[in-house]
Amino acid sequence: MESDTQRIALGLRQRDVAVLEKLVEQYQYRLVRYLVSLLGRRDGVDDFVQETWLRVLERGDSYDGHSRFEPWLFRVARNIALDAMRKRPMFSLDSNEEDGVRSSPASGEPSPYTLAARTEDAERLADSLQTLEPVYREALVLRFQEDLSLQEIAVIVGAPVSTVASRIYRGLATLRPQFEGEIA
Amino acid sequence: MNIDHHEGFQRMIDESLAAAISAEKEQCLREHLATCVPCQEYLSASNRVIAGLRGFSFAVNPTLNARVLVALKLRDTGTMRQHSVPFKNWAAFLLALSMSFVGSGLVYQMAERLAVPMHFVSAQVQAGVLVFWLLPSLCAALCLLAAPGENRGTA
Repeated sequence: MESDTQRIALGLRQRDVAVLEKLVEQYQYRLVRYLVSLLGRRDGVDDFVQETWLRVLERGDSYDGHSRFEPWLFRVARNIALDAMRKRPMFSLDSNEEDGVRSSPASGEPSPYTLAARTEDAERLADSLQTLEPVYREALVLRFQEDLSLQEIAVIVGAPVSTVASRIYRGLATLRPQFEGEIA
Repeated sequence: MNIDHHEGFQRMIDESLAAAISAEKEQCLREHLATCVPCQEYLSASNRVIAGLRGFSFAVNPTLNARVLVALKLRDTGTMRQHSVPFKNWAAFLLALSMSFVGSGLVYQMAERLAVPMHFVSAQVQAGVLVFWLLPSLCAALCLLAAPGENRGTA
C-alpha cells in the first residue's frame, strides 16, 4: 500500500501542482515558523517561503519518499536562506558558534518572538530567544516546536547527531536560568 | 550528594529531553528524580523552557498561500513552454514536409521525361530523386522542428 510520503514523492516527480497545493496548505505555517526561527526576523520570510516552494517544484524529484517530508522541506528552505545570506551577509548561521554574529530585527521594531508570544513562559523567553545564537535557536525549534528527531535535525542542518544534541543542551542551558528557582 | 553527582543526572535530563538517552539511563534518572529536589527543579525549569518554546504563534500573511500558488503555476507553465516545441516550429516543419513531397513529385516527373534522351533507366531516376531531393528536404524539415524557438531558455 502506498504511503503518504510515497504519494508526495510521486506527485513531486510528476510536477503535480495539485499535490503541491496540498503541501502548501499543510506545511505553510511550519515553514514560516522555521524560517522566522532561522533568520530571527519576520521581514523577508515570505520571499524565502515562495522561493522554497518554487525550489520544491523544480527539484521535487530528489525527494525519495522514504523519510518524512518536513525534514526535506526544511533542508530546502535552509539552503535557500543560507544562499541568500552569503550574498547579503547580515548574519551567519554557520559561523563560529562562540563568536557568530547574532541576528536581530531592524532597529526599533519589536522582535518576531515578542509579537508571537502567546503564553507567559513564551513572553519571558522572547528576548532571550532573539539574542540566542541562531544555530542553538534552530536546534531548539526543530526539536521542541517541530518535534523532529535528532537524526532528522542532523539531516537538515548537515551536522553530526552529536553536534545537534550539543546545540540543544547549550540552547537549553542558555534559556533555563530564567525559570530556575521557581516551582512550576 | 556532591555537585558532580547532580551534574551527571542533569546531563541525563538534557539527554532525555533531546530524546538521546538509553532506556537504562532513563530508568536510572527516574529513580534519582523521585528523591532529588535540585534535579527536580532543573527538570521543571527545562520543561518551562520547552513550554515557552511551544507558546509562540506566528501570524502568516493571509495572501501568502495565494501568492505562492500563483508563482508555482506560472513557473510550471513557463517550464512546460520551455520544454515543448513552439507552435511556429511545428507549422514550419509541416509546411516543409508537404513541400518536400510535392517538390519531389514534380522533380520525379521532370526526371522521367529527361531520362529517355539521357539514357537513364527508371530505377536510376527514382534513386536520384530519393538521394538528391527527397532525403535532403526531409532532413531540412526535421532541422526546423529541432530549431530553438524564441521562448526557449527565457522562462
